This record gives sequence, structure tokens and C-alpha cells, in this order.
Amino acid sequence: MIIDVQLASLFTAVALIVIGIFAAVFLDNLIKKVIGLAFIGDGVNLFLISMGYKAGGIVYIYLPGMAADWFAQNAAYPLPFALVLTSIVIGASTMAVMLGIIIVLYKKRGSISASKILGE
Amino acid sequence: MIVYILMIVTILGAVLALMQRDLLKAAILTGVPGASIAFLYQYLLAPDVALTQAIVGSAIIPVFFALAVYKTRRVEE
Repeated sequence: MIIDVQLASLFTAVALIVIGIFAAVFLDNLIKKVIGLAFIGDGVNLFLISMGYKAGGIVYIYLPGMAADWFAQNAAYPLPFALVLTSIVIGASTMAVMLGIIIVLYKKRGSISASKILGE
Repeated sequence: MIVYILMIVTILGAVLALMQRDLLKAAILTGVPGASIAFLYQYLLAPDVALTQAIVGSAIIPVFFALAVYKTRRVEE
């Protein structure tokens, strides 16, 4: 079975999204729910990056001596790379806000189990 | 060949992080998929994203989870 880098990355992204949705819906602990949401974010970033990949291409850095037409045909598509860079940092900071809310909830209710907090 | 290894390490690290009952082990194992995804970005021709993911995904996010576990309880009830 021979698959290339792009197809392997797509499989990994889909597996991460499925694992993250399972953790966020079915697990009871709030910190594990946040870990699942972080995995969903990683999977979506990996999906966008693997869409911009070009097989046999080069890194999108224009060095002196390259012809412009050859560079435009062989370089990878740079727009998702520039935007995913922002998305990684925003994902980390929103996850820090979620963990802060969990700490406040633990100080008020004394538990981090979702079923105990909701009283079921 | 190394792409298969990175794929297996990513999925296995994610599953193992969610199977732990000790939440500090889960917080440390969260860094394993982040680091292997950073290597995978390098093979997908995106070295700047790989640098950011290597710092954020494998160092900062496990430290955040470890701080949250330190402020709350460690063992899952």
C-alpha cells in the first residue's frame, strides 16, 4: 500500500477530528473535553495545510536565481500556510480561557465532573 | 516511510492521552500529537507553521493543562 504525504495527512486529520468529537461529547471529565477540543483544532489545521501541498514542489521562498514562472509552477500554495499560523495561536489562547473557566467552576462547585456539576 | 510513523504516533498519542485516569499523564501525553504534527508540517512544505506548532503544540499547551490540573484535582473521579 503506497500513499503519498498528502493522503496520509488527510487520514491523520480525519482521525484527529473523530477522536476529538468523541472526547468532547462522550467523556465526563471537563479537562478531557478541552483536550478533545484541542485535537479538533489540530485536525482542522492539518487539513488546511495538506490542501495547500503540491507533490514534488518546493518551499515557497523566492531565492535569487529562480525564474518567476518556474517558481509560480513549483512552489506550494502559500495562503493557507500564512493563515494557519494565526489559527494555531488563537486556538491556544481560547483553550487557556476554557481552562480558566474550569478553574473558577472547580472553586465554586468543588468538582470537574460534568454530570456532578449538572446534578445528574 | 517516515510519514506512516508520524501518522501512527499522532493517532496513538491522541488515544492514549484520552485513556489515562491520571490527568497529569493526560496533560503530558497531549504534547505527543502536537510534536508529531509539527514534523508532519515540515514534510508538507510549511516550515514556518512547523516552527510555531513545535513551540505551541508541544510546550505551551501541556503546560497550560498541567497548571489547570494543579489548580483542580489530579485524579479523575
